[in-house]
Amino acid sequence: MRVDLTDSLSSLLPKEAFGFSVPSSLPAALRTDVETIIAPGSVEEVAMLLQWASERGVGVVPIGTGGHTYPRCPSDPFIVLTTSRLNEIQHYEPADLTMAAGAGVLIRDLATEMAIHGQWLPFDPPDVRNRTLGGLVATGLSGPLWAGYGQLRNHVLGATIVCGNGQTVRLGGKVVKNVAGFDILKPMVGSRGELAIITSATVRIFPLPVLDRLLVLEAADISELVPTARAIATAPIMPASVSLRATSNRSRLLVRLHGAQVSVDSDQKSLEKHTSVSFEVRDSPEDQSLMLEERGGGMNTEPAVRVWALPSRIDALLDVLKQVPGASLNADVYGGSVRVYLPEQISDIESSLTGLQKDIEELGGTMRALQIPAEVNASAYFTKPLADEGELASGLKRAFDPQSILWGIG
Amino acid sequence: MTRPLPSTVVSDLAEIVGHEHVITDPERLLVYESDGLTAYRRPPRAVVLPSSTEEISAVVELLHSNGIEVIPRGAGTGLSGGALTTPEGVIVGTARMNRILKIDVENRLAIAQPGVINARLTEATNPYGLYYAPDPSSQSTCTLGGNVAENSGGPHCLKYGVTARYVTGLTVVLAGGRIVQLGGVGRDPYSTLDLVGLFVGSEGCFGIATEIEIRLLPITEGVRTLLGIFESVESAGRAVTKIMASGLMPAAVEIVDGPTIEAVEASVFAAGYPLEAGAALVIEFDGTEAGLDLDADRAEKCCLEEGAIEVQRATDPEHRVKLWRARKKAFGAMGRIAPDLLVQDATVPRTKLPEVLAGIDDIGNRYGLKIANVFHAGDGNLHPNILFDRQNQNELELVELASKEIMQLCVDAGGTITGEHGVGVDKREYMTLVHGPAELEAMAAAKRVFDPASLFNPGKVLPDVEGEGTTKSEKILAMGE
Amino acid sequence: MKGTPAYEALGQALDAQRERLLPCVHCGFCLPACPTYNRLGNEADSPRGRLHLIQAVVEGRLEPSSEAFRTHIDRCLGCRACEPVCPSGVEYGTLLELARETATQAVPPGLPTRFLLKVLGTPVLRIPFFFIGRLLRGTGFAALGATVLPSYGPFRAVRLGLAMLASTRRWQLMDSKESMAGIADSGSLDISQKSRVAVLLGCVQEGLFRRINSATARVLEANGYEVVTVGGQDCCGALHAHGGDLESARTLARSNIRVFEASGADLIAVNAAGCGATMKDYGILLEEDPDFAQRAKEVASSVRDVTEILDSSGLRTGASVPCKIAYDHPCHLLHAQGVERAPITVLKAVPDAEVHVVAGAEECCGGAGIYGITHPKLGGLIGGDKVSAVRACSADAVATPNPGCMMQIGAGLRLEASNEGVIHPVELLDESYRRAGFYRAGGVE
Repeated sequence: MRVDLTDSLSSLLPKEAFGFSVPSSLPAALRTDVETIIAPGSVEEVAMLLQWASERGVGVVPIGTGGHTYPRCPSDPFIVLTTSRLNEIQHYEPADLTMAAGAGVLIRDLATEMAIHGQWLPFDPPDVRNRTLGGLVATGLSGPLWAGYGQLRNHVLGATIVCGNGQTVRLGGKVVKNVAGFDILKPMVGSRGELAIITSATVRIFPLPVLDRLLVLEAADISELVPTARAIATAPIMPASVSLRATSNRSRLLVRLHGAQVSVDSDQKSLEKHTSVSFEVRDSPEDQSLMLEERGGGMNTEPAVRVWALPSRIDALLDVLKQVPGASLNADVYGGSVRVYLPEQISDIESSLTGLQKDIEELGGTMRALQIPAEVNASAYFTKPLADEGELASGLKRAFDPQSILWGIG
Repeated sequence: MTRPLPSTVVSDLAEIVGHEHVITDPERLLVYESDGLTAYRRPPRAVVLPSSTEEISAVVELLHSNGIEVIPRGAGTGLSGGALTTPEGVIVGTARMNRILKIDVENRLAIAQPGVINARLTEATNPYGLYYAPDPSSQSTCTLGGNVAENSGGPHCLKYGVTARYVTGLTVVLAGGRIVQLGGVGRDPYSTLDLVGLFVGSEGCFGIATEIEIRLLPITEGVRTLLGIFESVESAGRAVTKIMASGLMPAAVEIVDGPTIEAVEASVFAAGYPLEAGAALVIEFDGTEAGLDLDADRAEKCCLEEGAIEVQRATDPEHRVKLWRARKKAFGAMGRIAPDLLVQDATVPRTKLPEVLAGIDDIGNRYGLKIANVFHAGDGNLHPNILFDRQNQNELELVELASKEIMQLCVDAGGTITGEHGVGVDKREYMTLVHGPAELEAMAAAKRVFDPASLFNPGKVLPDVEGEGTTKSEKILAMGE
Repeated sequence: MKGTPAYEALGQALDAQRERLLPCVHCGFCLPACPTYNRLGNEADSPRGRLHLIQAVVEGRLEPSSEAFRTHIDRCLGCRACEPVCPSGVEYGTLLELARETATQAVPPGLPTRFLLKVLGTPVLRIPFFFIGRLLRGTGFAALGATVLPSYGPFRAVRLGLAMLASTRRWQLMDSKESMAGIADSGSLDISQKSRVAVLLGCVQEGLFRRINSATARVLEANGYEVVTVGGQDCCGALHAHGGDLESARTLARSNIRVFEASGADLIAVNAAGCGATMKDYGILLEEDPDFAQRAKEVASSVRDVTEILDSSGLRTGASVPCKIAYDHPCHLLHAQGVERAPITVLKAVPDAEVHVVAGAEECCGGAGIYGITHPKLGGLIGGDKVSAVRACSADAVATPNPGCMMQIGAGLRLEASNEGVIHPVELLDESYRRAGFYRAGGVE
């Protein structure tokens, strides 16, 4: 619904907060309704804005760049809030291996700064470099590298959030071990803007590995690679990540080993012994990027879903998924999850999705729609949380966003 | 004297868990008046020892429907008084829930009851080449349920992270006895909020975890342990900064200071350290055998560059135990040289360690108290041990004052009031040093979602509502205007 | 009750031990080491809980005559598994004995305990008592009774007692007819460097296991030690001390100190772990006795488990005795004396003897005197777990160097109709030496 809110807001915020154009990456359905996109420049401005919105019952759709998420579209008057101007690195102490930055800082800018000190943030969801720190934290995505480094949620040390009612809350701190009170920070990571807007975050960072080796195994059919992938997942050494990529005509198993040259060599040997295969080795970043970035360079336009099952069931999962005509697959072997990209011109998407969902659930797995054409009711393809979990989550929603003005990403 | 439970409640409890697992006579209840922090003593009205999720649920339902507060307890080894009862509370202990229900080798998962001892899980999974990473110093006795409640750490958490990283799913009993499943591997983790992460570290204030799904790790191929002897804590601290900044990723980095070495050497646990040692630094690397000597060489070089008197290295388990001895035995050794000991716990950014240690030293001198430091240097987690004699009432007060100053010092340095022991009852008053009214209210709101009537472990973690309640809401109002 | 002179005196006795209680920082490391806590889950049945109760008595918050104090102090097995895991070095065993004394003086223990302690501490009663025992064993009546008596009601205790008695028989693999005496072949050992050793005969050991005392003397001699005979020995007082009758224990200790001092032996070899643990603590037992404190310390410092002596210098190798042995640690050897390796070394010195340490060997078998009779349910639970662990070894015999444990495990196996023999490690070594021809034939055992 179109509403002109600029007038009443302009007295509240400085003019730098206005004049942002609607990012073309926003889903069309939402984009067409956006009247005003606001870019507050400080946590205080975010607080004022949310208080203003909650008093008037105006919905707020929080985005970073708006390029990686699928915001929901409120039916009532709403504004889009971008964190783009909250883009300062606030604190970086390389010797402490911690960094605090505004939610709007791009990961690629953080990476440039960290690389100077031989450090990095070891998370690799699709197109991570072009995501914002706030977006990364709000989505809670870690990528396949979580196998070697742990999930993002374990490395977010602190955050400043503004709740739906405009209340600013500082969570956690800048130390790696902290149990001073209930850990509200955990449910904020991955809360997708539903509870509060994250305005800055402190993360634990890591020394860059001396050597980042990519082992590649190719096959015509993904099924040929699955036994090797499973064998690696139960090997006595833990690679940094293990992923499988498949398109209709080519499949690849990608294993990353991080460490000193001697340990990487030794790990490779023990993996090859354990799996009885020999891998193609790629040590140079140029060689690797082609393969690692092949998917998710920016937002993909095709319909996509993500499915989960126990890691030991990934073979059964892939057996089902490769039956989907024209689909390309991107599997995190340790996590037991697969991103499924469907052909753009798929006919009768609803029945395809319904059939897929049924098959996955029969395997004991769950499915979630990532990107669905606007005419399809995406929420039908979201995994339903367990009833009790849903009730507790609603309780938290009411506690942090009592007026329910925040429209997260569903 | 504690008010006894109504006899109908006692007989109903006995009906649920069996007569012998309900303790109500005041003499036996004395045993449950403290946990690992004996400064606080208060016997509960009863202790109930259920053996299953269903029994816990029925017990909680019965107690809550009678308005009786439930105080969860594991092995009672906590150091913040988290298992101390309220005057009206009933302790529900998990000691009898000590079975490992499942070891899923293929998915590297285990499901355990809360009374399973931390080290037992590693023992049970070792034959499959797996282990459980978090290793609090009390791992030979503390339980997984307690670890979940406290989000426990340990020396090797530097590399591997704390309990929350390894808990993937929970079955919990919430207010009124409701049994709820949270999380679990194989399900879409984005289908809801990270409720497992929120429950971990909730110190028994949200409910009782009755089944815990845990991620296991493959046993590492090799280990190298180094022991560096330094003239001063400062030089040992500089060596730590150097090692961490060099890109090395040690599994553990621990410092034992001069007064602690003195205590260890004076005790039956003497490890044979040189008397001039001002600090001992234990560094451990684990992982692929091939890379370990290289790592150890680099760490040794860092130590020597910062003036280490000597650096020893262990590869075999026996020698490794020897190098760890001073660190592991420090707590007990101090129990031998002073009648009482207050173990503090705080975290500061690693680079602030030298100035904070100097500050603690200064506080000790000003109050005339002996303070010995044993700490997880790698992640800045300090454990100042204040030695005293509780018979001396005056000294007891000084300990209180010194503790508070140490906390303020750590907070001023950008740290926090507890890194792994939890807030419990002991650190509630320090919470306002790190959190403002909005933060405390947010935490209270989260608690209300799980436990609206505050019948699980009330009076813990959050500062008292009475007295502060009015000021708190006034402040919030003022901010709103 | 409070203020009664009797209780004040008892309180003072424990109060004097304040220094031993204080090091307990309530850390709870002892909990998982405790067999009763592991099974009951009640902290009053854990070492920390018992120490807390003892402290409450010292502080005057708890009456020593209270049911809670007596029950939980009584229910302790006294296995002392909590001592090695205690970071603060709390002397639990000593405290337990004092607490037992306090509790039993407040309210006397049950009839079976009083009867047994009286008999064992009095030679004129002890001799006929064990004579009847051997008669029941020799006639097969004990074995029969253990088989036919029902396992409920009042029969239960009798059945268990008879099974314990029946299990004290010599293991079949050992040649029972050909008794041995003296040394035929002293090998190439340099005898002059070895010590003069006196052997504690003990009460139960001499009454039911005289063969072990003989074997002890023989294997020591075969390894070049001079074994001196010490007459006038008495019961060591271990069971009295464990039962809280510290006065009787002290009387017995004094009597033993006198005779061992007079013997001129360098070392006292003990082949019963419970006796060894108590004798090594004679110094603490008699620390308040001005005449004996120093003498007790000196005698205590010469006490060794026989396997410690044998392990201290290279053992002679005898002949092959092919068999599979399950070894179980007696608590009073492992936890109270810290002896872990020596008995296993002795067993492994026998060619072709395959030695397996029982899973959970460090946990108490539930013997603990007559625990199975005084605490049938809990004792049965603990004993049952041990018997299962022993049976899982599929061994020919179980070896454990303490008579109480031999009888407890032996009875458990017998009641489950399992055929393993029960031996002391020196018995196997003795058999190996006999087969090797180290001994003269035809002597009297």
